[in-house]
Amino acid sequence: MAVKMEKMDKSRVLLEIRVEAEKVSAAYSRAAKQAGKEINIPGFRKGKAPKHIIERYVGKDYLKDRAMEELIKPALLNAYQETEILPVSAPTVDVVQMEEDLDLIFKATVEVKPEVELGQYTGFELEKKTAEVTDEQVEEELKRRQDRHAKLITVEDGEVLDQDIATIDYEGFIDNVPFEGGKGEDFDLTIGSGMFIPGFEDQLKGARPGQELEVNVRFPDDYQSEDLAGKDAMFKVKVKAIKRKELVPLDDEFAKDISEFDTLAELREDIKQKMLQSAELSIENEYRSEVVQKAVDKASVEIPEGMIQGRIDSMMQEMEMRLASQGIPKEYYEQYLNENEEQIRESYRVQAVEGIKTELVLEAIAKQENITASNEDVDKEIQKLAAQYGRSAEELKTALESRGELDWFKLGIVTDKTIDFLVNSSEKKDSSDQTANKEE
Amino acid sequence: MRDARDVLIRPVISEKSVGLVEDNKYSFWVNTAANKIEIKAAVEKMFKVKVEDVRTLTVKGKEKRMGRYTGMTPDRKKAIVTLEPGNKIEGFAGL
Repeated sequence: MAVKMEKMDKSRVLLEIRVEAEKVSAAYSRAAKQAGKEINIPGFRKGKAPKHIIERYVGKDYLKDRAMEELIKPALLNAYQETEILPVSAPTVDVVQMEEDLDLIFKATVEVKPEVELGQYTGFELEKKTAEVTDEQVEEELKRRQDRHAKLITVEDGEVLDQDIATIDYEGFIDNVPFEGGKGEDFDLTIGSGMFIPGFEDQLKGARPGQELEVNVRFPDDYQSEDLAGKDAMFKVKVKAIKRKELVPLDDEFAKDISEFDTLAELREDIKQKMLQSAELSIENEYRSEVVQKAVDKASVEIPEGMIQGRIDSMMQEMEMRLASQGIPKEYYEQYLNENEEQIRESYRVQAVEGIKTELVLEAIAKQENITASNEDVDKEIQKLAAQYGRSAEELKTALESRGELDWFKLGIVTDKTIDFLVNSSEKKDSSDQTANKEE
Repeated sequence: MRDARDVLIRPVISEKSVGLVEDNKYSFWVNTAANKIEIKAAVEKMFKVKVEDVRTLTVKGKEKRMGRYTGMTPDRKKAIVTLEPGNKIEGFAGL
C-alpha cells in the first residue's frame, strides 16, 4: 500500500492511496463468493454458482462496490497511521481506479484536528475578586432556617391574617354557572402567596374558622385560560381552618435544635464560614474559566465543519436524552421552542465552536508545555473518585480500563493541570512550574 | 434448413451444465423440432468449432394448474454437444 499525503488547508488533508492489484482481485473474488451465497441464481444451489455467472447476474459494478467497501476502510486506517494524522470526520472518498485486477487508487479528503496558533497564554493580569459575606447575608440565611423550622399552629378562634394558611373549600361561578376547574376541597392556601387570582386572597382576610363567604373577583385579561380571562366570577368559599406559622425565637435554644452547635453565635459563625467557602469556590471557578477564556481568545484556529457538526450531534443527543429522562417527547420540545431540528442545531453552533476551540487550545498548550498525566496523577485522581463513590481504587481502575475510558480520564487530568498552569502563570507567581500543584 | 439461430435457443445454465464444460460438453436448449444433424451444423456455424457428438433429450412439460384449469408447460429439447478436442466456446454463459 502506498500513501501520498497533501495538505489542502489548515484542517483538511488529501490522501492518495494505492492498494496492490493482488489484494484487489482477492477482495473482488471474496465479494463474488459472498454475493453468491446471498442470492439465488436459477440453476444453481446457493453459493455454488461460479464467479463468472455471478458476475453476469449481479453486475460487475456491484461486485466492485462490495470489494471496495472491504478494501477502503482498512486502507484508510492504515494510511492514517502511516501519515500520523488524526481524522475528526468521516472522509469523503473519490475512487480514481477500480478494476478487478489492477491497483485500486482512491483519493480521500479528510478533516483533521486543526493546528492551533497559540497567542499569549501566560501572564494575564486578572482581577480576582475576594470572597465577602456580609452580616446581612448571614442574617438572611438564619431567617430562612428559622422559617423552615417554624411550627404550624392551628388558630381556633381568630381571623385570617396575612401569611396564614387557610384550609378552604371553594367553588367558582360565572353568571351563576359553575365552571370547570373552579372547584376545590381542603385546599391549603397561604394568604399573600399570590397563588390565586389577585384579590381572592385579600378578601379572605378577616374570615373566621367555619365561616362561609362569597368572594367576587375578575379574572385578569391575560389569564391562561381564554374562556375565563376578563370574566367576573363569584366564589363560594368555606374557611375550614386557619393555621399560622409560629417562628421559633432565634436563640441558643434554636441553634441547639437545628444544628450541632450550642450557641447562636457559633451557628452564625458556621454559616458565615460555609457561605464564605462557597463564595470562594465560585470565584475560583469563575477566575479559572476567565483565564482559560483569555488564552482561548488570543489563540486562533480554524475548526473544520465536520468537527462542529459532530459536536452538535452529540449535543443534540444529550438534549434528547435529557428530554427522554423527563418523559418529554422531542416533537413537543420543538413545538415549545417553535423551532425545527435544523434551527435548534444552528442555535447550538456557537456553543459547539466555543467548546471545541477551548479544548483544542488547552490541548495545544498542554503539548507546548509538556503537561502530561503521570501514572501517579492518575492513581491519585482515581483514589479521590473512588472515595467519592465509596468503592475501592483498584476496582474503579479496572472498570475504567475495561471500558476504555482511562485515556479519556487522563485527558481530564491533563486539562485540569493545564488550567492550573494557566492560572498559576497568570497570577505571576515566581515559579512557573510546569506541574502546577493541584488545588482542591 | 433452418437458420442456426432458430435451432439454438439459449445455453443451459446450471450447476450441472457448467460442470460439463470441463469435459468439453456444452448444453443448449434447442428447438424441439430440430434434429441432431441440424444442431451439429448450427453449433459449428455459430461458434466456428468442430462438433464431435450431439446427444439430445426431450424435457417433458409439467402440468400446471391455474385455479380449476389444468394446463401444460411446453416440452423442451436439450442438446448436449461434445466438441472435438482442442475446440471450445468462449464465454459460454453468454449468448
